[in-house]
Amino acid sequence: MMINFLILIVGLVVYAGYGISVLYLSAVTLLSYLVGRLIPRHRFIMWISVAFLILPLLFLRVQQWLPWRSIIAPIGISYFTLQIIAYHVDLYRGKYEPEKNLLRFGLFVTYLPHIFIGPIESYPRMRAALEERRVNGDDFLKGAVRAMWGSFKKLVIAARIGMIVSAISAEPERFNGAFALAAMLLYAIQLYADFSGGIDIVLGVSRMFGIRMSENFDAPYFSQSVQEFWHRWHITLGSWLREYVYFPLGGSRKGRLRKYFNIIVTFLVSGLWHGAGFLLWGLMHGVFVAFGEKLKTKNRTLNRIVTFLLVSFLWSFFIWPEPTTILRMLGSVFTVFNYNVLFAEISGMGLTAGDWVVLGGSCLLLGLYDWKSSKLKTRFCSFPPAAKLGTICLLALTVLTFGMYGFGFTASEFIYSRF
Amino acid sequence: MKEKGKTVVSIGVVLITFCIAFVLISRLLQPKYMTDLEEGSFISQYYREAGGHDVIFLGDCEVYANFSPMELYRNNGITAYIRGTPQQLVWMSYYVAEETFRYESPRVLVFNVNAMRYSEPVSEAYNRLTIDQMRWSGSKVGIITASMTEEEQFLSYVFPILRYHSRFDKLTQEDFSYLFQVRDNTFSGYQLHTEVVPEGTFPVKKALPDYQFGDICYEYLDKIRLLCEENGTELVLVKAPSLYPYWYDEYDEQIREYAAEYGLAFYNLAERSEEIGLDYTKDTYDGGYHLNLFGAVKLSQYFGDILTEEHGVADHRQDPKIAPAYDKKLQVYDETIEERMRVEDNEENK
Repeated sequence: MMINFLILIVGLVVYAGYGISVLYLSAVTLLSYLVGRLIPRHRFIMWISVAFLILPLLFLRVQQWLPWRSIIAPIGISYFTLQIIAYHVDLYRGKYEPEKNLLRFGLFVTYLPHIFIGPIESYPRMRAALEERRVNGDDFLKGAVRAMWGSFKKLVIAARIGMIVSAISAEPERFNGAFALAAMLLYAIQLYADFSGGIDIVLGVSRMFGIRMSENFDAPYFSQSVQEFWHRWHITLGSWLREYVYFPLGGSRKGRLRKYFNIIVTFLVSGLWHGAGFLLWGLMHGVFVAFGEKLKTKNRTLNRIVTFLLVSFLWSFFIWPEPTTILRMLGSVFTVFNYNVLFAEISGMGLTAGDWVVLGGSCLLLGLYDWKSSKLKTRFCSFPPAAKLGTICLLALTVLTFGMYGFGFTASEFIYSRF
Repeated sequence: MKEKGKTVVSIGVVLITFCIAFVLISRLLQPKYMTDLEEGSFISQYYREAGGHDVIFLGDCEVYANFSPMELYRNNGITAYIRGTPQQLVWMSYYVAEETFRYESPRVLVFNVNAMRYSEPVSEAYNRLTIDQMRWSGSKVGIITASMTEEEQFLSYVFPILRYHSRFDKLTQEDFSYLFQVRDNTFSGYQLHTEVVPEGTFPVKKALPDYQFGDICYEYLDKIRLLCEENGTELVLVKAPSLYPYWYDEYDEQIREYAAEYGLAFYNLAERSEEIGLDYTKDTYDGGYHLNLFGAVKLSQYFGDILTEEHGVADHRQDPKIAPAYDKKLQVYDETIEERMRVEDNEENK
């Protein structure tokens, strides 16, 4: 109990460092707790609660279309809002009893490691994780190696690619065609290394303290279809959308056409969750999920390549902010043939020859790890403590030496913390 | 029990290996300042010679380029060391002085006042040249804390790998050769320059909006003065000769007032260039910013006499405990000069 209280207080203090958002978070947590206690007896309150929780999020997402844009989003609002909505809806459905302990509920909402980038946990899952918390040497070492691996992905891979993608995206008039294609493919790796690296850190640090949280990635770029991709990418958001949007809409129970409609609506919601500018991105993913299975061939490698290319092309919505630029850049990939100058130009975008070697080797390592992750994890678990510690030390030295951080670097923010 | 003991030993071995690897990698990645920016290694060279100096010089490039302790010894038998570093600001000089007093208590501490014009840290790069190779002590903690620019972090001084990790693909033979021990590239802190680049052109001397030295400069000058008093050392203020950046009369006036208030000696050697015999067509290696060897010889002769006659600094040329070591150093110094001149003559003849 004492440890949980400490985790809550430390979390709030750190969160307070980001400004007055902590007031919003505290108020929402307290009100949600009280509302949760009322829902079993006054079920209609759930609707009011959901409306009040969604409104600020919706406002933040569409404010780019409004004449004024002065509201700064509280950090992590997308994540804790979804968690609270799920909690209230579950209480409405009578899935479990409301939490009586304010401290435990507060920790569920404000648990620091995941408030910035997820994963989005359900209440029973989080409660079990906190109740079953046990600190032991083995969990500590496993958690530490995971956190180090996450830092490696973030600081060695994502930060390096980020320099190239930023340079290309800053000058869309100059860098189109081959550069646009390179930016999309590189961004796919950058986003994965950044987001999954962040999640690895969250899960690793949590595990070091005996808290086991949900996985959010499962080698997504080895998917053979966009539908499969969404079962392996941002898994907890996908689960949330299935449970609280897709199924309530009727899921696949009301005929094929309605199923397609439900999928597309679910992905539109996913797009809106990312921001109003991502609606088209969500729509296109919805279309590929609904109809993409038909594109599948018997060749698994080809399926993987096609899926990776489709997903990478759609990441262009994350690279260029304006829809017209996105469409122009996508078009330029097929119409502007400047592939002959690509390597000469891209090598002058801030990375040294050594950086390229490190990046290439690291990407290869990431790919190999994802390919053989279950085997590697099993192997690592069988290591004696000293070998586990040695792995952590090796990763730490690699990150310290080859990471892009510190003086002169600004790669500290996780991409998904802005959603 | 036996198994548990084995595990503990294995963990210990891994941790020790990690620490050794960490130190080695950190050391490898840290600049050695041997050929490029050699001024960065000046601060550490003192430790091999620390102790037994009658005179210590503090200040920026104007001290390590303009005064030659070897000439001070040759002419006046003065044992001196220059603890000057590039862009050494007043608070840096204070902490370097504080550190120096841990090793010795000189009779005279000569402080070049040029840095009084700077009230803020100039850049991270300059900070590094003074601080990186300083030994750890309270003085190093103080100098870091006082000098850091906004974007710097204290931890990166404690663990240099945090600052220099991006050098992993810029390592040269020098980084491996001087992994554990750097070589001396000064003569008791003096940077030898035999090249001649006559007086150049400088920007027009303009009036400044404000000539007042910053409070922080006075604060640390006071600290240097008090430190000297505590250690029974006489503080002597100088302005070393230089044509640029301009030393304004208003600056000079403030220093004179300060010296008069606390009974300190102040010598503006820049305005005594003629008396010293400096010829800026021959005695500078960079067009007038700093003196070369020929200028340093003249200045050291002139200032050596001041130290002897007006401040009673002893002549050690006949001291059997000191003279042999200094005579040897002087010999190496002369041989190096001869060698440099020969190389330069050969290059000219080509």
